[in-house]
Amino acid sequence: MSAIKEFTKGIYKENPVFKQALGLCPVLAVSNSVENGLGMGLAATFVLVCSNIIISLIRKGVPPKIRIPVYIVVIATFVTMIDLSMAGFFPALHKSLGIFVPLIVVNCIILGRAEAYAGKNKVGLSFLDGLGMGIGFTFALMLLGVIRELLGNGSLFGVPMLGAHFEPVLIMILPPGAFLTIGFVLGFFNWLENRRQRN
Amino acid sequence: MKDIIKLGSILMLITTIAATALAAVYSVTKPRIELKKVEALNAAKSVALPGVNLKAIDEVKNDEKLLYYTGYSDTSKSNLVGYAFLAYGKGYSSTIESIVGVDSSGHILGIQVLSQTETPGLGTKIEEIKYGDSLTWVQNKFIGKFCQNLAVDKDGGEIQSITGATISSRAVTNSVVAGYEELVQYLKAAN
Repeated sequence: MSAIKEFTKGIYKENPVFKQALGLCPVLAVSNSVENGLGMGLAATFVLVCSNIIISLIRKGVPPKIRIPVYIVVIATFVTMIDLSMAGFFPALHKSLGIFVPLIVVNCIILGRAEAYAGKNKVGLSFLDGLGMGIGFTFALMLLGVIRELLGNGSLFGVPMLGAHFEPVLIMILPPGAFLTIGFVLGFFNWLENRRQRN
Repeated sequence: MKDIIKLGSILMLITTIAATALAAVYSVTKPRIELKKVEALNAAKSVALPGVNLKAIDEVKNDEKLLYYTGYSDTSKSNLVGYAFLAYGKGYSSTIESIVGVDSSGHILGIQVLSQTETPGLGTKIEEIKYGDSLTWVQNKFIGKFCQNLAVDKDGGEIQSITGATISSRAVTNSVVAGYEELVQYLKAAN
């Protein structure tokens, strides 16, 4: 695959959330507002890109038997770095995302790309793969975030959008609303794909 | 055996490098994080005792435990503005910590929620500022009120609780009452 395709595949064709169904836990939990979704997406993308680069760099020196612990150490190190940096430089966002920043360590997308791609490919391509998947993840978070915040709170980024008479559908910002939204969106993308393949 | 030594050494090398890199980031961010904590506490004191110079606020402690703050109108500390105390309430899914500032007659001058992890969109509304407003729910409901006999409407009181967040609303309300009662006890003991 050409280099550009390695990057773009993560955004739609092999979108980690909508096509690979990875990283659903943070998506469900943090997509209750666009701001949270964006913050989480960017933090996870940073970790994904950095861990892909490092893992690709050391891939020849890591014995297969211990590759998983090695990947986890690398990922956890970057997550801790970003957790500390967020606390020191963006305390409001850090407080908003709370426990979900440390939980980036167990985000399946990051370990998944380490195992499926970065462990076997060159640094440049691994970087593009990580960036594409990270952007795809952020896109998924923001798409769900827009739907859930608009319907569940009548706002986007905290700014009311639907007027004073709009009665927010509270369930949309709670867990059941997350499941409902992701179910419909996944269904929609599957339907799109079926139509595409029939043509 | 040799295999285990080789694998273990590689792991140890990687973890050592990782730990070193982390230590470097930690040393850079630690002073900033400490600073942010102090800033947040100072901001909270200023919200609880509005208009009071930070240097005119005294900490009253028992050994290491903070009991309350005393605020004066200026750094000469001759004119008492009021007191600030920390209030803790058992919310729906977290302990809600607030700072409450009162004048010498027990009326609330300022209030701010310091920490909570209540249900997003419901209990978290206690900290929410409605678009166009500049005060949070707790500030709108509590400033000016007298700290004794406060209760949510469901308990026969005057504080209108947030729809769908009765427990969080009740937790804050009751914590203000309890915190004030404690303050009164401390003040009595000091005199």
